[in-house]
Amino acid sequence: MTRFLALPLILAAAAVPALAQDTSPAQLRSGYEAESGAAADPAAGKAFFLAEHSGGKPETPSCVTCHTSDPRAAGQARTGKTIEPLAPAANPERLTDSAKVEKWFGRNCNSVLGRDCTAAEKANIVAWLASF
Amino acid sequence: MSRPTPVSYVPAWDIWVRLFHWALVLGVGAAALTGFLGDARWTLVHVASGLTATGLVLARIVWGVFGPTHARFADFLPRPGAVIAHLSGRDRRHRGHNPLGALMVLALFAAILALAGTGLAGLGGWLRIGPLAADLGTDTGRMALDLHGGVALGVLALVALHVGGVVFESRREGENLARAMVTGRKQARPGDAPVAPARARGGLALGLVAGLGAALGLGGATLSARPAPNLPVAVTDPLTAQECGACHMVYHPSLLPAASWSDLMAGLDAHFGENAWIDAGDAAEIEAWLTAHAAETVDTAPARLFVRTDPAAPATLTETPAWERLHDDLPDGLFARAPIFTRANCAACHADAATGRFSPFAIEIPKETPK
Repeated sequence: MTRFLALPLILAAAAVPALAQDTSPAQLRSGYEAESGAAADPAAGKAFFLAEHSGGKPETPSCVTCHTSDPRAAGQARTGKTIEPLAPAANPERLTDSAKVEKWFGRNCNSVLGRDCTAAEKANIVAWLASF
Repeated sequence: MSRPTPVSYVPAWDIWVRLFHWALVLGVGAAALTGFLGDARWTLVHVASGLTATGLVLARIVWGVFGPTHARFADFLPRPGAVIAHLSGRDRRHRGHNPLGALMVLALFAAILALAGTGLAGLGGWLRIGPLAADLGTDTGRMALDLHGGVALGVLALVALHVGGVVFESRREGENLARAMVTGRKQARPGDAPVAPARARGGLALGLVAGLGAALGLGGATLSARPAPNLPVAVTDPLTAQECGACHMVYHPSLLPAASWSDLMAGLDAHFGENAWIDAGDAAEIEAWLTAHAAETVDTAPARLFVRTDPAAPATLTETPAWERLHDDLPDGLFARAPIFTRANCAACHADAATGRFSPFAIEIPKETPK
């Protein structure tokens, strides 16, 4: 059922300029689950987040390069700028703006992996971040 | 009982002449030290000591008209004939400045006033601040600063000559002239050149100095308050602030030439080692704003310096020859430590980085913090 509800949501998000606070971690998770056709696996999300990857830019081999291994803690960009925590438990603004989520998945998956993340990978990460 | 001394001492230098002299030594000394040896962070001390020296010279000029006997220009301004007579040793002993000493006084005053003029022109034209900021640009400012450095070398030479002259004349006359500038008293000897005693008009001189100071202060403030042309755009485009500022300090558009900005915006998917891709519409809007306010559109020192980029890295501010030259005396590892982290974090040390001004008065290297 969620699949049929979430798809139009994603399409709508892509078609019109997204408004801030237009989504929630649960909505994002179900949207990505619907897109991938599989249930999210928070443990796989954690492993993916903590892993060292190849194929991306040498400066950023892993998500933890900038975000640290604790999503409840602030990270730091290579520019010195603080990155607010990723876990909604520590930073309620996280995962509430679909355009922002897509923009940063787009950028950071390419920096770390050298490719876009799949919907399943995004679902797993969102599920893990929301589990705190 | 000691034998009665055959020489008698009389007042030569009044207290204001002496205070002026030694305060000028301090002011010129501080300005010279900071100017020749200090880095950009010493600019405030340099300007303050230079202005102090200038104020002292102006006050001394007033005192040269209304001060007591030997303070007065009338007492020591020499005719050419007197200089020649002094050089050939045919003149009588001068209890005040001798003709060569008088020429040194005039030369030092002229040079210090020239330093003030070229310094203010440098502040106005190169840093675009102060009373001349509205009138001068970076071309004039840079010329003025070159001239300032040349005149300053001249002052060093004059000071060396002055000290040499004092030592020479002290030995020749058998009287310590430097000590006389401390005690204010000099020997009175038979056959000294005649002295025309003059009474100091202290109240008048004080009033004139206060009035001159107020007029210069007010005039300077009024001139400084005029809006200066061709300065960096003051308001940052909100989209640029949001998108660029999401990851790093918002670099002012005047810090790079338009071609560099276009180059940078065309390569956001490989942006200094990261993917910084944004929506094409947003990218076009940001690029339009950046290029409209790029280095070519303003007249500031940073824009003039950084407009010459490294051809191999046209969008990398920290690879420009000027950036490297300006930072090459900083210790290795300074940039990597917290809270600076990277050469690209201008705002860590330059409080006014976001304005594109990079005033030397706004530099403070932060203390290291735990990462």
